Amino acid sequence: MTKTIAHLTDFSFSYAGSGTKAIQEINLAIKEGELIGVIGPSGAGKSTLGYALSGFIPHFFTGDLSGNQQLFGQETSQTPLSELAGRTGMVVQNPFNQISGARYTVREEVAFGLENLGTDRKLMDKRVNETLERFKLASLRDRSPYELSGGQQQRLALASILAMEPDLLILDEPTSQLDPAGAEEVFESVHTLTETSSTTVVLISHKLEWLAEVADRILVLVAGRIRGQGPPREILTQPDLEPWGIGSTQYTRAARLASSAADTSQPALPVTLDQAVGFFKPWI
Amino acid sequence: MAQLSLYRPGSSPLHKLNPLTKLAVMACCLGAAFGFPNPYWVVGFYLLFTLSLAAWGGMLKPFLVQNAKLILPFFLSLFIIQGFFYGGATVLFPLGPFSYTLEGVEVAFGFTVRILQAIAGMTLFIFSTRPDHLMLALQKHGFPHQAMYLVVTTMQIIPQFQNKALAILEAQQARGLETQGNLIVRLKALFPMVVPMILGSLIDIDERAIALESRAFSKPGPKTSLIEIPDSETQKILRWCLVAAGLLLVVWRAL
Repeated sequence: MTKTIAHLTDFSFSYAGSGTKAIQEINLAIKEGELIGVIGPSGAGKSTLGYALSGFIPHFFTGDLSGNQQLFGQETSQTPLSELAGRTGMVVQNPFNQISGARYTVREEVAFGLENLGTDRKLMDKRVNETLERFKLASLRDRSPYELSGGQQQRLALASILAMEPDLLILDEPTSQLDPAGAEEVFESVHTLTETSSTTVVLISHKLEWLAEVADRILVLVAGRIRGQGPPREILTQPDLEPWGIGSTQYTRAARLASSAADTSQPALPVTLDQAVGFFKPWI
Repeated sequence: MAQLSLYRPGSSPLHKLNPLTKLAVMACCLGAAFGFPNPYWVVGFYLLFTLSLAAWGGMLKPFLVQNAKLILPFFLSLFIIQGFFYGGATVLFPLGPFSYTLEGVEVAFGFTVRILQAIAGMTLFIFSTRPDHLMLALQKHGFPHQAMYLVVTTMQIIPQFQNKALAILEAQQARGLETQGNLIVRLKALFPMVVPMILGSLIDIDERAIALESRAFSKPGPKTSLIEIPDSETQKILRWCLVAAGLLLVVWRAL
């Protein structure tokens, strides 16, 4: 049976000094190896959910909390953040802020987390080299992290966390501050991750096409509450998403327009390119 | 990349020495600068010892250029001020009511070579030692890694913040902010520049702290290092000898 890695039961949280609940009555169980996409309009509480799942709530961000919060079968509040480090990893929006500043080369930057975990040098060297190869950073190994482009820096942030082999990885809008080329680099890295490891991933993003490709399950968060969760095709084709300001994939929009223009109704709208090809084939 | 550090990458034997050994070399150079009673001995030490080490480190030319750049203001001010105002019987040339004396020149020469030797000792160390390597070596001897982190990060991040300040300046100028002109205009321009910088930095702090915690920064217990900082019994003995020599020279002068 697949293990549950993170569990929130009737979980609500409001930040210290804020009267409103950032997330409320969240019931969520994340299974080992799952890739969950989290979508929602700005201010919906997506990042807060990410912090709650990674343990930064309640250890880093304080406030009023109710309900139950478990990580790896233990109460999160009872497990120090330093103990969770290495088991949970978080990649945030701004790539620049994730460069440690303490190391002078890309190779050393990837090793920084492993050094803090006290990893043996030989094993560390092996893991660093493997990670550099895996995320196509090997050619940049001797460059300064500050000399890299935004996309390369975000790939480096991702690689640095993954070198620590966390059980749970939270990616909080990792492409939001990148140009299209940089975002594409990060997409590729996440694809590499999903293909080569069984790390459980929570991917918070506005890029619906991307989530549709990689996620096992999509979770819709609106005004701090979960408004729906399920397989990408089921969730991302719901008409409710538009009024919530979430929108839909370009494939779904095109299919919807085509369906209404042709006055036909197809059973399932597409959310990925492959599905779109299948959907439009009868028209070609 | 812009950095506060003046480290010059290289693979010379000097570069490969343990940073603490190079720190001891610097201590010895400082001891020689201020310990030798006769400034000509300081010149001899500079030519024979300090310059030889710079050549051994493969950085003689940039080393000399840096020395010259740093000593020039001292040289000019000391030779002018001491020459005219130190006093003395041997007048080299008069200038109006003032006399430029040989005794003043000798005093200026003494100060200048001592400062030059001190600068040279520090340049030798700074040019050949990567700041993070020094921190790793110190950490190995029990210095707290949080303090070491602060020092190294500051050296790398301050230039990045300078870039950020420049970006804010350009963005505000693009919105029509006057940044050139008299003092009042410049003071007025300060507020719209400082506020985004501070607010942005406060937001950055949270993200930076999260990123560090995700990398187990505050995890208790022993840390390891990917980089091996070379050390040996010979270097340990050499360190003690160099520090002792520096101290002896200073004590000699004081006696």
